[in-house]
Amino acid sequence: MRRILSLLTLFLAATLSGAEAGRSAFVMRWNLDWQVTGGLPEKVLLLSLQGLANRTAPQLYVVHPPEFQWEITGPLFSFYERKHGVKFTDLKTGEEALTRFAGSAKGYVVWDPAIPATMNVALTIAGLEDALVVTPALIPLVEKHGLKAVDDLRGRYTGQTDAQIYGDAVTRYWSRCSRDSIMLMGGHAGAVRQPAVADWGIRQKMFFHDLSANPKHPGELALAQRLLSELNPGATVFGWHSYAKDTEEQWTTLLSSYGLKMEGLHNLPNLSFNCQFGFTPGFRFTNTHHVARDAQLTAEAKVYLSFVQSDSIGIGVWTKPGRGKLPFAWQVTMNWTKFSPAALEYFHESATPNDYFIGGLSGPGYMYPNHIPADRFPLLMKEARDLMAVLDEHVMEIMDNSAADGNVGNADLTKETVDRYYAAFPDVLGFINGYGPARTRDLRDTRPMLSYDYYIDPRRPRAEVAADLNELIALNAKRPYFLLVHVRESNDVNSLIEVVKQLDGPVEVVPLDVFLKLAASKQTYTTRYQDPADPKHFTGYRK
Amino acid sequence: MRPFRHLLLLLLLVPAAFAADTALTGRWRLDPARSTALDGWTAWDLVITAEGSRVSLRHDMQWRSTKVTTTNLVDTAAPSTVKDFFRVEQRHMALYPAKGGTTAVRAAWLDAGRTLRVEADTPIEISQGQANMRLYYEYRLIEGDAALVLIELHSTRPQPLVYRFTRVTENK
Repeated sequence: MRRILSLLTLFLAATLSGAEAGRSAFVMRWNLDWQVTGGLPEKVLLLSLQGLANRTAPQLYVVHPPEFQWEITGPLFSFYERKHGVKFTDLKTGEEALTRFAGSAKGYVVWDPAIPATMNVALTIAGLEDALVVTPALIPLVEKHGLKAVDDLRGRYTGQTDAQIYGDAVTRYWSRCSRDSIMLMGGHAGAVRQPAVADWGIRQKMFFHDLSANPKHPGELALAQRLLSELNPGATVFGWHSYAKDTEEQWTTLLSSYGLKMEGLHNLPNLSFNCQFGFTPGFRFTNTHHVARDAQLTAEAKVYLSFVQSDSIGIGVWTKPGRGKLPFAWQVTMNWTKFSPAALEYFHESATPNDYFIGGLSGPGYMYPNHIPADRFPLLMKEARDLMAVLDEHVMEIMDNSAADGNVGNADLTKETVDRYYAAFPDVLGFINGYGPARTRDLRDTRPMLSYDYYIDPRRPRAEVAADLNELIALNAKRPYFLLVHVRESNDVNSLIEVVKQLDGPVEVVPLDVFLKLAASKQTYTTRYQDPADPKHFTGYRK
Repeated sequence: MRPFRHLLLLLLLVPAAFAADTALTGRWRLDPARSTALDGWTAWDLVITAEGSRVSLRHDMQWRSTKVTTTNLVDTAAPSTVKDFFRVEQRHMALYPAKGGTTAVRAAWLDAGRTLRVEADTPIEISQGQANMRLYYEYRLIEGDAALVLIELHSTRPQPLVYRFTRVTENK
């Protein structure tokens, strides 16, 4: 009940916030230069400025080029203008931005580009001390605006390993950092880095690090485990794993084993701005349901195909040509209800009748359920249920790649995990599982659980995609055949329309809710869970 | 009648005899630009060795940093039953070798030892249970013996998969 009340409070607060029309703010338009020896130092400075400038009010927004991984910054900028009445003023240079916002900072901290981890230590200090983050070359620029050094990391960590550097940072700063969230500032590593979510971490006073979850780095892993163990129950790990140290599967497995949730990516921009806008007055999420919860459908002797895109709608097919021409399910990053409501409203506003939203991934954030401690599971899933209720979603998507090797391999759920989902979500239409293909399947009462039978790699020639799907249709000869297809983020819908035209037999592309209702009517698929004998690419951690 | 029997036996044994000195043996590397697209694999070396009528088809596969080596042994003299028959699968399809399944394999040398034909009936785990896939392979040497073409047909796929390999010399 308290959770429902808090969600209602959130909703009302958001609505009130949305009512504050006519706000003024500033916008910068950035390029794609994130080279450590090029545009990165100034961008890090401006990200720290953004985090501080947006501490108490949404004042600074960044529009990235359409080629940036998060393609929505432009459309969302227009949404703020149109729906929230924000009057933006352009800031063309770092100098202009500093002139306007240097007063938000109490000083600056110097990092050393030759020792990459110092950037993260400096970002932690920035949040705690209200400091801007600069390289030595940028000191004159910030001093011109009257700022003085609050710390200087040059020389402090020379010759030290990342485990040593972060160990020292934990000793110095961890006690003052947030315990509700932490910033895994990894992602791109080496010559290019993209810490575009840093503004959010600074605003929220998070501890920044890129500690490895790879067992090959035991010192870093042990420190990461300590930090995760000291976060509050249900806390969020923002950012992304380091591409140079470990894998997405390793980090997500690790945080899941502490009952925490991941919210990617390292380059997710503008959260310090977005979090301060709620939904516009009168707005409520209304999904395009094609069937009622209690509807009963009967499957015919044909192939039913359903498409799902799950890589967070902000980076995916949404902006690609052809959306709306085929029924498509979109996994919504449900936590954005809390810190990016306007983005969710934008997606819902621009949805077509063929766009259907579903909950995920695995819970109230990205997590691998086979590794969630049993005592943490019910509370996490209650949070997920509450978010799904706000978002009017009736389907839960699950993904556990802990034993997979990227998007191939073992993505199955244990029977124990499946049992927990059936117990936690009595009112859903059903569950879907996987990222790459998987073979966890079940049907209990009217709720099927189906895994992806196919994953569309955006690089795969469309003729081969059609041949693959036709081969699945030929091998799964019983009718009806329920063919669930995961569409990787950068595919486009137009190309899928051409693929569908090449499919053999009586094939019907249906919305996911219809698909699950039909799958409930006739189980032609086997019941299967993760088999302990199935190969595992990675077996997890010992605490 | 006896001389005729000897002649028949000799004729039956002749294709197997090609195996020992076939130019198909050696290490071959996939030329992705001239091949059907792999799915879920990023590299493929095929290592062929022959001894008598037995031919070893070793697959050195790679996906990102993961390396897999697996070998199919076929016999050109007689049909065989192979446990854990390896198929270079399209890994984004929910098709898996059936657990505990065995694959019936037939192999033969054709074209004076320049082509190896392999036929296999293999059980596949599918979402509806289990199905059988009939596979037909031809490993063909290309003129000059520096390239090999593998043509793969599935009973369940409407078009062939065609892979072109180049010979890997020792200094490569």
